[in-house]
Formats: sequence, C-alpha cells, structure tokens
Amino acid sequence: MKLAVALVAALAFAALPLLTNSNYIMGIGVSALIFTVAAAALNLIYGYTGLLSFAQLGFWGIGGYASALTVVTFGGTFWWGLVWAAVINAAVALVVGYPTLRTNRHAFVIVTLTFALLVTMIARDWVDLTRGALGIPNLPPPVAFGYEFGTTGRFYWIAWAFSVAMLAFLYALCTSRIGRTLVAIKQNEPLVRAQGISPMPYKLASFALSAAITGAAGGVYSFHLGIIDPLFLDFYFMQTFLIIVIIGGAGSFWGVVVSGIALSALPEVLRFSADFRMIIYGLILVVVMFVMPSGVAGWLRERRLTRLREQLR
Amino acid sequence: MTIDAVYLLQLTLNGITLGLLYALIAVGLSLIFGVMEIINFAHGELLMLGAFAMAFALPVTGLLYWPALAAAILATMLAGLVIYELLLARLKPDEFERSILITLGLSIIIIHAMQYIFTATPRLVDTQYGFDGVDIGAIRIPWTRVIGAGAALVAFGGLYAMLRYTQFGRAMRAIAQNREAALMVGIRPRVVARNAVILAAGLCGLAGAAISPIQLVTPYMGQFLIFKAFALVIIGGLGNIPGAIVAAVALGLVENWIGGFFEIAWQEAAVFVIMIAVLFLRPDGLFKRGGMRVG
Repeated sequence: MKLAVALVAALAFAALPLLTNSNYIMGIGVSALIFTVAAAALNLIYGYTGLLSFAQLGFWGIGGYASALTVVTFGGTFWWGLVWAAVINAAVALVVGYPTLRTNRHAFVIVTLTFALLVTMIARDWVDLTRGALGIPNLPPPVAFGYEFGTTGRFYWIAWAFSVAMLAFLYALCTSRIGRTLVAIKQNEPLVRAQGISPMPYKLASFALSAAITGAAGGVYSFHLGIIDPLFLDFYFMQTFLIIVIIGGAGSFWGVVVSGIALSALPEVLRFSADFRMIIYGLILVVVMFVMPSGVAGWLRERRLTRLREQLR
Repeated sequence: MTIDAVYLLQLTLNGITLGLLYALIAVGLSLIFGVMEIINFAHGELLMLGAFAMAFALPVTGLLYWPALAAAILATMLAGLVIYELLLARLKPDEFERSILITLGLSIIIIHAMQYIFTATPRLVDTQYGFDGVDIGAIRIPWTRVIGAGAALVAFGGLYAMLRYTQFGRAMRAIAQNREAALMVGIRPRVVARNAVILAAGLCGLAGAAISPIQLVTPYMGQFLIFKAFALVIIGGLGNIPGAIVAAVALGLVENWIGGFFEIAWQEAAVFVIMIAVLFLRPDGLFKRGGMRVG
C-alpha cells in the first residue's frame, strides 16, 4: 500500500516539468528532492543507528567540491564527479568513524561537529585547491550521450532519477535484516552483542553509506547551483537536514521523506527575512523536541496505539 | 628557517593568553557535563552575550574596565539561570542527543535574534586601557590581554577552592561522582545543576568580556570558539576540569606556533588532527574521566 502510494508520488514528481515552465518552481523541486535524500541519509545514521552525526554537513561540502573539482580541475565528467564524491566521502567517513566509534556516542557527536567545522575552514583556507572564498563558478551542465542538461527543467530529471534511486536503495536497506540490526544497535547494544553480532562493522558501514549518499547529493546540488564556494558549507544546510529528520520522525523512513518534501517547500512559502526564518527554525526545533520528541510519525504512531488500547479495554 | 627568539616568545605569550580564554569556555562545558551529562550547544552564545554586554556596559561606566566586566558576568549568569529554568531543567540526565538538539535550537534563536536586533556589523570595543601595554624587552603585550589571562587564572583558582572546600562545590562533585549516593545523603540534583549552569555561564561571560577588547564583537563570534571548546573537552576527557584546562592552554600554544610559521589553514586544522590522534591513542581523552575530581 505504502509502496504503491510512493510509486504514484514518484511518478507525479517526474511529471512536474511537463506541468510547469517556471524555472523557479522546478528549482524548488530540485532542492526538495536533493534535501530529502540528504535528510534520508542522516536518518540512516541518526534515526536508525542512533548516532547523531553533524558530519553530514562536511560530507555534503566534500561531495560538492569533489564533483566540481573532478569536472573543472581534473577534466572528468559530471558522472565520474558523483562517483568520486561518494567514494571520497565513504573513505573519509571510515577514517573519522573508526577511532570515534570506539569511544561513546557523546564523543561521536562532538567529533562529527568539529569535523564539519574543519571542512568549512579547509574550503575557505586551502586556496590552491578550492580557490578560497571566490569559489568555483560556471560549473558546466552535465552531458549524457550528447544530450546537455543545460536548463533547470532538464536538470530536474537528473535530480529526480538520483533521488528516486537513492531513496529506493535506502528503503531496501532500512527494511532489510541490516536495517533491523541497526535499530537493534540503537535500542540495546549489549543485547546485540549477546546475539553474537559485532556492532562496529554495522555502525561504520552505516556511517560510510550515509556519508557517500550525502556526498553524492551535495555533488548534484552544486551542479544545480552552477557554482560552489564556502557558503555551500553554511550551517544552515545542516539545520535544514536535522529539522527535516526531527519533524518527520527519526527512524521513520516515510515520515522523513514526506517532511523533506514539505519542509523544503516551506521556506519558499514563508518569505520572511533570513534572520526571522532562522529564528522560526530554531523555535520549531526546541518546541518539537519538547512536544513530540519522536516527530510527527512517532506522534501518529503513539496516537494509533492509544486508540487501539482504548478499543481493547 | 631561522627561529627568532623574540618572535617565538611573542607567539608563546599570545598562545598562553588565548589558551586561558579557551579554557574558561571548556571548563564551563565540562562542569555542566559532569553534573548533568549533557552538552550545552548554546555555550558559545553565552560568550557572545558576555561580549555584547561588555560592549554596552563600557560606554555606560565611562570605559572603566572592571565595573563593565562585573556587569557582563552578572548578565551572562542571569542568562544561564533563564536557560536552565526554561529548557535544561526539563531534561533528564543522559538525554544527550536531546540536550544537543534543544540547545542547538536555542543557539540558532539567540544568534539570529542578536543579528536581527544589532545587525552583523562587527563592533570594536574600546576600554580605558586602549592599546596601552606592558613592555617585556622587545615585546609589547596589551593590558587587555594581560588582564584577560590574569582574570582567567584567578577564576580557575576560585573554582578550584570552591569545588574543593565549600559545601556548594562538594555537592557538585558528589552528583558528578555518584548520582544515587548523592541523592541518598540529601543533595538536591536540581539545585546543584542550576548552580553549575549559572557558574559555567559566569565563566563564559568572563571569557566573552575579556575577549571583546581583543577581538571584534559579532553575533557569530561564539560559534567559532565553541567548536574548539568541544574538541578540547574531548581531548581533555569529558567532564574532566583540569584536563580541559591543560588541553586548552596547550592548544592555544600549538595554534600560535603553527600560525606563526605555517599557513593559516594548518592552524585551524590542528585542533581536529590532535583530537583524532588522541581518540586513536586514548579513547577516553588524555586525562581519563574521573567523575570531576579536583586535585
């Protein structure tokens, strides 16, 4: 049932460029699709595995820079850029994740946070590679079999195909035995050990996969913008991913997907000044953490359970 | 490359003053973690509030340094009390991720509210000391830096004496070492936690007020420092106060030495490289967490 709805929704999204000619609306569509993928990747590591990772922002930035540099500096194609974005991020995640995951989840949160800041500083200060604050403008549009994805309408297809593929992969992963193991690690790690499962490879794999997917999403987004500079690593992106996951419900796959689409469109509807919008984001974060800590999906589940209990009584 | 002794000494002295200011922030984080097992993400914003309070108090006091410093510390302690009563008091111990997300929300609200009200234009803060300084041979250190470092040292001395000899401090250590046993002998965790947050906020306010004549004051100034303070808390061992101080002063020195001889990017990367190396070698931090012992 859910899958049928998701399939219809995916096809409806595919039809967007046929319904409108407005670059503005299709631009929002591209952002919504990519942000949803990045939020779903954060959901894999935070919602399923229970590790709050702020490193997503760093992976997003590394992905963006890796794919831009592959094309501009090393003369590769956009597609190879995405592959490099994913591979480099997975490798970085393993290097950062291994020493950190040996400690406790407190240290993990703080190390990932510092990592995100480090990537921002490198993007700004390693001028020889990243061109510093000027950034890399005029990223060429992707080309496949002689077809140039030059307009927002054409680029939309790439974003659509990318996010459908990634979300399908994440869905398959999260509902598989591996996904259940990850949830078990989050809920009771000693019990998982007692079952003869070593949590470390699962945690590392989930961190690396989440990094690779976030990186590829950053790669697609940088080519959507057509320019990459240190602002690509603004903490705003991390806050957006976090709020999508928390409002949707950490650990709920469809909750995060729905809230990703909805919340990416929301800032466009609420056109306040940037500061005012961020204040509202902060308020939402604080209020949701107190009122419904498991997000809308968790709140709906709770309500359904209480109703069932009342009927039984 | 020849190393000029005067230049090296200058870097070293700058490093120590910077490190002591880092330590003020990191100690507050450690204190709160020790008592409540949570991390206050909005700690950098307390520092920023302290710096702004200093910037506004100085013209009122006619550029007199000490009354303005006291006003800034009081203002941040008040902010700490409000934050505790409104948000942190509702958290249970070890709700770590929730504490981070809630205080992250708070930090977003404070930064952008300050930017909305006072704009992002950096402010230059002038004190009675201006750019006067003390001369040691060929080196000149501004009074504001000397006083900042001195005030930090006095604060650490006071904190040590308080944690070690007063009932107020013993209760904090008791909660950090064994929560249940502390409850059994009649210590109220809520009161102790509130005191710890106010105390940490005061230290942070001191750091912010002391930094304001040295650096430009902007709504974002807290964010850059807080990331480093987080790393310091990890390097020194979560909840370990002497560890945080040692790590902070060492980082201040290392950063200044690296900044003096290499490219600036390495200076910023140093803290992260050190943290990862420490986690590889000693996963619990350099100084193993000892339930907030002093001495």
